[in-house]
Amino acid sequence: MRRILVTGAATRTGGRLIQNLERTLDTRVFAVDDLDPVEEFSSPFERLSLDQLSFARFLLDVKPHTVVHLQTVDRSALHGATRAHEESTVGAQALFGAIGRCTTIRHVVVKSDGAIYGAGPRSPSILSTDSKQRRSSSRYQRDLEQMETFVRDVAERHDHVDYTILRLAPIFGPTIRNPLSAYLTLPGVPTLLGFDPRMQLISERDALDVFLHAIDNPVPGTFNVAGKGQLYLSRILRLGRRVPQPLPKRAFHAALRGIARSGIPLEKHTIAMLKHGRVMDTSGMQDTLGFYPFLSCRQTTMVAYGRVSDGFDQ
Amino acid sequence: MNYDELSLLRKPELLNRAREIGLRGRSKMTKAELIEALVDVEGGEEASSLDEPGPMIPIPGVSLEDRVEARGRRIDLYDRLADLVDQEKLCRWRSIEGHVCGLPVVRGEEACALHCDRDRYDTAIPITGRLGFDTWPTLLRHLHLATYDIDAIGLDPVVHEMAWHMLNGIYYDYFRVEVEGIENIPMDGPAMIVANHGGAALPYDAAMLALAVLNEAPRPRRVRVSATEIFNMLPWVSHMYRKVGAVYATHEDARHLLERGALLGVFPEGESGFMKPVWQAYHVQRFGRGGFVQLAEQTGTPIVPVAILGAEEVHPAVAVSKRLAQLVRFIFPQQRVEEIAVFLNPVPLPVRWRIRFLPPVMPENPGVEPDPLRMLERSEDIRRSVQTTLDTLLAARGTAFS
Repeated sequence: MRRILVTGAATRTGGRLIQNLERTLDTRVFAVDDLDPVEEFSSPFERLSLDQLSFARFLLDVKPHTVVHLQTVDRSALHGATRAHEESTVGAQALFGAIGRCTTIRHVVVKSDGAIYGAGPRSPSILSTDSKQRRSSSRYQRDLEQMETFVRDVAERHDHVDYTILRLAPIFGPTIRNPLSAYLTLPGVPTLLGFDPRMQLISERDALDVFLHAIDNPVPGTFNVAGKGQLYLSRILRLGRRVPQPLPKRAFHAALRGIARSGIPLEKHTIAMLKHGRVMDTSGMQDTLGFYPFLSCRQTTMVAYGRVSDGFDQ
Repeated sequence: MNYDELSLLRKPELLNRAREIGLRGRSKMTKAELIEALVDVEGGEEASSLDEPGPMIPIPGVSLEDRVEARGRRIDLYDRLADLVDQEKLCRWRSIEGHVCGLPVVRGEEACALHCDRDRYDTAIPITGRLGFDTWPTLLRHLHLATYDIDAIGLDPVVHEMAWHMLNGIYYDYFRVEVEGIENIPMDGPAMIVANHGGAALPYDAAMLALAVLNEAPRPRRVRVSATEIFNMLPWVSHMYRKVGAVYATHEDARHLLERGALLGVFPEGESGFMKPVWQAYHVQRFGRGGFVQLAEQTGTPIVPVAILGAEEVHPAVAVSKRLAQLVRFIFPQQRVEEIAVFLNPVPLPVRWRIRFLPPVMPENPGVEPDPLRMLERSEDIRRSVQTTLDTLLAARGTAFS
């Protein structure tokens, strides 16, 4: 009986991951988050904040074999920037401290984000995991960097722990709700005049499958995860039959503040990506991790806008 | 195509062809009606627009003999390009939403230039088999439907082809570029093309270098010229330079391309070469810190030095101002311009260009990091060979315009 602890169970990806794991044989799942889950699942759920010591005690009680850390999403819009920052860094410190102490743990799978590379006029056109880190500009980017450092430290100090860090491209799909997908599916999409960023996407089903793959095949390392190919933002909107609204810099930021008030708070790192674009080198994901996303970036876009069915059920 | 060949096609493919020739009422036709309409239109031999030369619009500063020669060179190129695709077979690629491609396939392949995997980003195979404004509706349709992938850096084959077609007018008719030593460009595998830089206003030399390889080499290979970070900051430029095949000059991008066997164009002089006053024209500046030699050694890439004569007289700079650059930095604080060249002609001058490719310089110890001094020595050797070639070319020509 393998025991899996999943943090970030309140997110859609987390909830679906737990549902999928429940269906596999010989698996017990323990779910943790400090919000109420969006998806329904039958596994025991503890409403705990990662930065409280009660969480570390819970982890040591449960004695999991695998820990899946998904609670790395940017919750600054929900909790405020300071609280989100504290929860993610102090939470990571507590989590990985407890992992070091818990001797049953063999493998840690961590969801990181492509945002760790940042986006700017001086960033390379294609980002690989071994290219040197750029100067951090956003708080979320620094938080991610710190979290990854905790992961590497605990794996270095404790021989019993292996880690897999997955740096995901933005998740896009028909049912997922994150700020970027809400922005892309607006009827008229404000874009920055004269800029057409290159972007990578991953479909919501592939984002789920990569975690299931990493849990079953513990390959240590850091991997970029994205669908095949990449798209210019103008192409994404054309495929989705959305009308781009090119605006000069100030009007663009005013428009983003406007849509933030109506419930789509785009994070700072996403806004930087909407100017300069971000494309990651996914050869490690294919060659070392052995994961091939089912949908390419173009197919992901077509599926997300509901123009075709994703073909998973056929 | 005759009746039998057309009847073998499926209806969406027939509709594609009908759309291309602008057949009216096609959406309401049955398959049989479509075939009959297409046989009527396509039955006669189509006259190529090149075979019957249209009226020649005179260009001031360019003689009529040059224009006639330019037309001949262009027809030669179009003949060579036409051999690359097979007009008889159509690509059967189908998009996830059901569009059928219907473009002619690449010779020896099963798919068209946009959908076959071989050399898709390395060789610029014309998508419809030729270059011309009449192909633009087809190109724009594929651009609009986004039926193909861009490469990792952002090259868009359709935008590249449109730029190629447009700039050919400048290449053949205005600058009348003469190319020597094209056989020094390897037709397989990576190479780094190192050239002198000039232009003062726009990077004409980067465009002409890329066109020289596209137009004169036995196989039209794309040269991925590298651009500074200013290109990433300017609106419109920031994505257009990627779409036409240029890359941002970083070691990561350059290594990515060279490892995949691309031709990389490098201008190691950088801004100090670009902003030269006219009395310093063709004095090749120092080749930076020789980072390109380091990259060539690490990846085991041959370096092809190139001397480009012409770029530095297109906009003769009468002054190079630091004050003006300060003003620009004051208005646009993000820009990092050090100096700005002042020139008096808004229209580029019709200079006759000469491009000479020199024999490739092989890496000394491929895969080994060279020591810093050796890097400087080798980059100075290459700079000197470019300078010597420029001097020879300058001595051999009369004036810049003859």
